[in-house]
Amino acid sequence: MAEMTLFHYIHKNTVLHRMDGRLKLACLLLFSLAAGFASEFHDYLVPLSVLFCAILLAKLPFTTLLREMRFFGLIILIVIVVNSFTIPGDPIANSPLAGISQQGVSTGLRFAGRLLIVLLVSMVITGTTPLMKFRDAVEWYLRPVPFVPEARVATMINLTFLLIPVILDSFREMMDAQNSRCVQLRKNPVKRIKFLVFPLIDQTLRRADEIAYAMEARCYSEIRTRTAFKCGKIDWLMLAISLAVFFFVLL
Amino acid sequence: MPILETRDLTHVFPDGTVAIEDIDLKVNEGEFLVIAGPNGSGKTVLARHLNGLLKPTRGQVFLNGEPISKNIIEARKNVGLVFQDPESQIVGQTVAEDVAFGPENLNLPVAQVEMVVKESLAAVGLSQLATRSPHALSGGEKRKLAIAGILAMKPKIIIFDEPFTGLDYPGVVQVLKEILRLHKTGHTILLITHELEKVLAHADRLVIMHKGRLVADGKPESVIYRVEEYGVRMPLRDGEKVEALTWLK
Repeated sequence: MAEMTLFHYIHKNTVLHRMDGRLKLACLLLFSLAAGFASEFHDYLVPLSVLFCAILLAKLPFTTLLREMRFFGLIILIVIVVNSFTIPGDPIANSPLAGISQQGVSTGLRFAGRLLIVLLVSMVITGTTPLMKFRDAVEWYLRPVPFVPEARVATMINLTFLLIPVILDSFREMMDAQNSRCVQLRKNPVKRIKFLVFPLIDQTLRRADEIAYAMEARCYSEIRTRTAFKCGKIDWLMLAISLAVFFFVLL
Repeated sequence: MPILETRDLTHVFPDGTVAIEDIDLKVNEGEFLVIAGPNGSGKTVLARHLNGLLKPTRGQVFLNGEPISKNIIEARKNVGLVFQDPESQIVGQTVAEDVAFGPENLNLPVAQVEMVVKESLAAVGLSQLATRSPHALSGGEKRKLAIAGILAMKPKIIIFDEPFTGLDYPGVVQVLKEILRLHKTGHTILLITHELEKVLAHADRLVIMHKGRLVADGKPESVIYRVEEYGVRMPLRDGEKVEALTWLK
């Protein structure tokens, strides 16, 4: 997991990296809503152009990220193809493939555009925001909500993100260990899953227990130091750009 | 008065397994104590009682003469525990975030948290790696990060649970130097290990645990000849003295 760049925080000293977490979260929401409301070609073009500029501004390794997005590229392609063939409508003139409709292609491209916007905005946010900042912002937004223990929710978010790479590493190691003992010769898939899932759950629970002990040993408390948020002019400018993109798409 | 003391300390797990039984141990301020014993002898369970992570079935732990159950937070602040697996201690996404976890729990002001984090990272020589992901560190660096996380709480006593496990030679040397530096700066050190050859030369006292009981306690040169009776490898070769038991040249 250490080699993965996509959806991982990449430390740089840029305007986007220094931006206030709360405003960044608001930008994430505005871009996601813009993706949902987009319908015309230019509705996609504007947010996508802004996001490309954001990637350049944040000095994120674009080619590496693009390479790691191959899997999502495949999903986007599937979305376009499935929509093109399943949505009824006018056939495309001179098309060598039968069954493709103009409306299908258009709907497929719209879905693909939405997916791409959500992917890019997630990439920018995760690449420029350390988990703690993100967590603090979520905690800040939850503070006025009654009956929601905001500190506990924030800790749960933190631990979940922390444990995912650890669980994936354990999973890979267990797979290798079982392959080295010829598990592939077992034809029953249920048994193979059983050999993998139960030890993985067991190990994850043990690790969770250890982490809980380690946190307690360091005086874990829900009454913690509160982050001092700082909002500069540039932060507000970023929010204004996001608002402009949102209203452009909406109107 | 000892800084840390256990009286009649006993822990029985819910399934009836006796992990430790009737442990009476006194640790003096500034002492370097090595606790040795084979696997399953109760060393880790004892360590987890010393800062109140586990509740004893019987007996008590005293810090500066006061039962730790009276003020568990004070006990955890004063008795730092560096876990055997440093991975389980890491909760931050960056090195600095992880070190800040403890002081933030203590609700210190932001400026003070930042200062303590800087000091702790500088103390273990990790300042340059403050923005790195902890999972990208080497074994020795991870252990140092775990130590920095504990140092940020300003403890007087530091317990190291098997600090050399899984480390290569340079890693052991790195960690050992760090432990000795902490001892020199006035910390009381309790080090749990069965690898006596790496550290015993620096210890003031050696305690042996066997089947949950404290079976030997004294100066390393007097206890060392009994270790094999209790399942710990005798590290001295013919003619060698305890002073030879270190991986530092």
